[in-house]
Amino acid sequence: MEKHKVLIANRGEIAMRITRACQKLGLDFVCVYTAEDSHSRHVHLARELGGGLYRVSSYHDANELMAVADASFATAVHPGYGFFAEDFRFARRVTQRERGLIFIGPSWRVIRELGDKINTKRLARSLGVPTVPGSDKPIYDEMEAEHVAQSLYDFQLSSGISQPTIMVKASAGGGGMGIEEVQDIGMFRSVYRRIRNYALRNFKDEGVLIEQRIRDFNHLEVQIVSDRSGKNPVHFGTRNCSIQSTGHQKRVEVAPGFAPAEINYSFDAAGVLAEITEHSLALARKVRYDNVGTWEWIVTRDGRPFLMEVNTRIQVENGVSGIIAGIREQEGVDIIAEQIRVGLGEPLGYTQADVSLSGVGIEYRIIAEDPAAGFAPWVGRIEKFAWKQESWLEMYTQVPVNEPYDIPTEFDPNLALGIVWGKDMEEAKMRGVAFLDSLVLEGADSSGNPLKSNISFLRAKTADILKF
Amino acid sequence: MIDVEKKLHRLNDRLAYIKDIFAGKQNEAVRMLQVRLDDFQARVAEMSAQERLSAISAMEELFTFMEQKLDEQLSPMDKVRIVRHPQRICLRDILENVYDNYTEIGGQDDKSIDPSMLIARAYITRRRGKALHNQPVMVIGQETGHGDEFRNGGSVKPWGNAKALQYMKVAEIENIPVHTFVFTPGSYPIEDYPGAAQQIARNLYEMAGLKVPIVAVFSEGGSGGAEAIGLADRRLMLSHGYYSVISPEGAAAIEGRLRDGTRAAPELIERCALQLKMTAQDNLRHGLIDQVVEEPPLGAKPYHYEFFQSLRNELMRATDEVVLTTRSFALLRGAISQPHRPKSLENYNAENFVTRWSLSTKARDRLVVLRQKKFRNLSNGRWIDPRTSFDLMLTKIQATSTDLLNLFRHDLWGRRKKQLGYAVEEMDAGARMLLHRIFNPFFSFTRELFGTKPRAKIAEELTTLSSWEEDGSKNGTWSYISSKAKEDRAVTCPNAAKYGCLDLWAPDLFGEFAGVCTHCGYHFPMGYKWFMYNVFDPGSIREFNQEIEATNPLNWDGFDAKLEQAKQKTGLKSGCITFEASINNTRMCVALLAASFRGGSVGVAEGEKFLSAIERAQRKRLPVLAYVHGTAGIRIQEGTNGVIQMPRCTIGVRRYIDAGGLYLVVYDTNSYAGPVASFLGCSPYQFAIRSTNLGFAGRGVIKETTGLDIPPDYHDAEKALSRGHIQGIWDRRDIRANLQQALVTMGGRNLYYK
Repeated sequence: MEKHKVLIANRGEIAMRITRACQKLGLDFVCVYTAEDSHSRHVHLARELGGGLYRVSSYHDANELMAVADASFATAVHPGYGFFAEDFRFARRVTQRERGLIFIGPSWRVIRELGDKINTKRLARSLGVPTVPGSDKPIYDEMEAEHVAQSLYDFQLSSGISQPTIMVKASAGGGGMGIEEVQDIGMFRSVYRRIRNYALRNFKDEGVLIEQRIRDFNHLEVQIVSDRSGKNPVHFGTRNCSIQSTGHQKRVEVAPGFAPAEINYSFDAAGVLAEITEHSLALARKVRYDNVGTWEWIVTRDGRPFLMEVNTRIQVENGVSGIIAGIREQEGVDIIAEQIRVGLGEPLGYTQADVSLSGVGIEYRIIAEDPAAGFAPWVGRIEKFAWKQESWLEMYTQVPVNEPYDIPTEFDPNLALGIVWGKDMEEAKMRGVAFLDSLVLEGADSSGNPLKSNISFLRAKTADILKF
Repeated sequence: MIDVEKKLHRLNDRLAYIKDIFAGKQNEAVRMLQVRLDDFQARVAEMSAQERLSAISAMEELFTFMEQKLDEQLSPMDKVRIVRHPQRICLRDILENVYDNYTEIGGQDDKSIDPSMLIARAYITRRRGKALHNQPVMVIGQETGHGDEFRNGGSVKPWGNAKALQYMKVAEIENIPVHTFVFTPGSYPIEDYPGAAQQIARNLYEMAGLKVPIVAVFSEGGSGGAEAIGLADRRLMLSHGYYSVISPEGAAAIEGRLRDGTRAAPELIERCALQLKMTAQDNLRHGLIDQVVEEPPLGAKPYHYEFFQSLRNELMRATDEVVLTTRSFALLRGAISQPHRPKSLENYNAENFVTRWSLSTKARDRLVVLRQKKFRNLSNGRWIDPRTSFDLMLTKIQATSTDLLNLFRHDLWGRRKKQLGYAVEEMDAGARMLLHRIFNPFFSFTRELFGTKPRAKIAEELTTLSSWEEDGSKNGTWSYISSKAKEDRAVTCPNAAKYGCLDLWAPDLFGEFAGVCTHCGYHFPMGYKWFMYNVFDPGSIREFNQEIEATNPLNWDGFDAKLEQAKQKTGLKSGCITFEASINNTRMCVALLAASFRGGSVGVAEGEKFLSAIERAQRKRLPVLAYVHGTAGIRIQEGTNGVIQMPRCTIGVRRYIDAGGLYLVVYDTNSYAGPVASFLGCSPYQFAIRSTNLGFAGRGVIKETTGLDIPPDYHDAEKALSRGHIQGIWDRRDIRANLQQALVTMGGRNLYYK
């Protein structure tokens, strides 16, 4: 492999994992940090391993990152997750600037194509990949809108749904703005007009999407990896991310997505898993997907999957897929290292036949929050943080274990990711509980109240994993 | 003795006045007068009464003789000093001496709404034998007084112009002529409610269609302020007045590229005054005024009663002429309105002939048509058109055939078709109603039987790919990308300190974002080509009249080179690009003022192109869009030829709107002065891109003329919106969609697609 230097444009545990992956691949790297993060372990690690280290004013400032890249003679940029990970303009800028860099992630056209939900839905439909029933284009005409809404209503009734619900959302919106649900079809017209006018005022586009509102589902993901040729994507199995906080933030992720051998489902679970991986690979081939990505699905209680969106980045929970996967004789896959390797242009070097999946992995997101109070974040100083090392446990954290740590409030709240592996579900559950029991997380906030964490919530939820 | 003292005093006054006019210039004649007067004063005590009387009348004769001699040497700048002198006649002197009776409206000296605009209802009484004929007139004009501070030197505030407009309309209702007197160095350039430009534009627009005779007299005619009441059927000018696009000082400041606060050298001002060709004689030669009223040597002063008599005569004659030209049948008196009136009528005394000044309905319409025609022909030919007369003839034939075609298509056939369509619609609706009442019970029954679709069909509709034609501009793909988008650099938003905008990468900013900061919405200026190639349907642009070329009608020193440079730099021949283009297949006529060509200033060529575009649109029933990429005002180097484009183009707009078109104006960057105060500012539908600064005069000029320090956002689009000058602020990325919307929802009856 050519000698590359990777700018790690992120923070916290993902920056640490990317740093380690670079070290493993024998690549130079350079890290950035902001003033609030100066005590984060990713900074310590960068110092320890002798990489470049630059202080920036913000992880969001592309100009500053480019300046760091030039000053440190970096040749590639890894965006991690969040920040610039799914920003096609950043990817385009990185590759098209005068001193071009490699963007470790899909090419910007792919990010743009799959970043648009309508476009993704249309691509999926063009391949016969199942998507949520409803419109796949912005609707501008009131007659058409009413027609679609009525059809959706009839359709849900005839599929045995007693309380049909229709979602009306501004096609140019996002982040939960301009979305409303309609349960009474008689109310549709007024809701439609409200959303349309809202969209016209706020997004200068009165297009509206009308879809079925699906309730009672499991959230599944398919992990895809492909090299720059875009022709031969492989998958590393599925994940089930259905255990979430009340704000629909993931807390526990399990690989694989279902356990048909151990749990009875009302539908053909193995068939659904096979179906969604096949569909995901088909779409990846169609868009010539050329890096690591996650295909997000929802599966209803009667076993019908619908593609929701594609995350064109490495995800937090990639490790849980990595821990159950293997390539040829090697056990466990470092998906981040794979991402960097193919990102820099190396061919994948293996096919789906070389990939094996074994056992069950559980990832816990350990967060200082109060599940009893609507998962309200807790802010303060961590005094003590320890756990028992095990061969079946991987722990990723930016929190230092030998000194107190003030939780920064500017970033996402993950303190640590604990990933356990068991040869079957029972063993994994047992080990998961054992891990959570061994975990010590203590601290106090500014007024002396003890630290609150979600550990007991995670322990309670362990019993229910993979149950629909 | 007392009599001699008085006369001596008058002579001293006259000498002081002469000195003021020649402003310290060394002049042999002035010095001689001084010596002789001093000498006389030294000797006067020793003289006998008889000697005194004869000596003083000799002195007076000498003064009169010398004044006549000096009058021939007057430079344009001397004339400027004459009209600005406190001894210069003012409008009140005219009211006292020219009219027989008058009532000032709203005037209690400085208590008036704007003391520099004077309105009066006046009478001119004509006597024929024993019969008296009182002829009412609305007199409107700027009042300077004899140096009255509160008159502001005749510089009228926007509400003063509004007052003028109000009483013009009163005159229209009362069917009496309007006499306007222009005594202004320029308008007071503030942006209030309304702004200066906004109000002048309104005045011009209304005067373009005012249905009573207007006669204007120019004494001091400075730019926009003059135009606000100067659009008249007959334009007289006092022989010592000036009428110009800008004051000589202003021209010198621009020529010398002076910064705020520094004053131009007197020589430069003198030279500019000469080059502006602003005297009555120059303006008459250029055909921009109709007639010069001769003043006494060195200018009219309040005691020149013969002058007032001749002014009265000329005013009556001019009004008579206007009235008579509108009569279809004027018998013998028609002869006085002929351009070459017979010798016998040269000394025609208007006092003795009575012409009624109120007009019949038909005559009023004819009056407006004549006025519009008159202005259409002003400044004709002062541009370069390399087309041969054969080419021009072809164009003319083409235009005429379009006229005929449109007459048939829209007026004859189109109207019938519409009427037929309405009739069919009516019958159809009636029939449906009937059928509904007969068959309704059956219909509801059949709907229940066959109305619902099968489930599989519904499922297919809801889960498979539908067809969709996507509009490319929605996701930031533009067909034309600015060359600024090719530089690899970061651009800092000027609002970064205020809103914390991150620096933007130039290829993103000038490419996909169309020059708009994604964080705060700040609009960076873009070239006019961006607009041309991204707003209209690709390939739909057909330029016309591109041959018309800006020129240097006054032979302004060094301006040829500057023009050539601008032509080289931009590849354009004038600052106005006119083309036909379509938006979603709706054709429209566009006149674009490009800021890159001498600041988008408007001269004769630009005015002519704008007018032809408007006329073309009227012929072809197209909507018109004036896209102001930027304009710095009227091109000063073209002098009064430039400023005449204000009324000229406004009249074109007025005719077009009256004919039932749609006139849209969109401003993009800095748009100031003359054009905004006339043919742009008069549109009922004006919109501004967020990057617009809109107003009458820039910061420096406002400081210079009013002493006011204006806040930084004084001219920005939001302020213009709150003043009511514009009707909306657009995001640059939405121009196309908004225009599309405008075409659908606005416009008169006479558009081809309506």
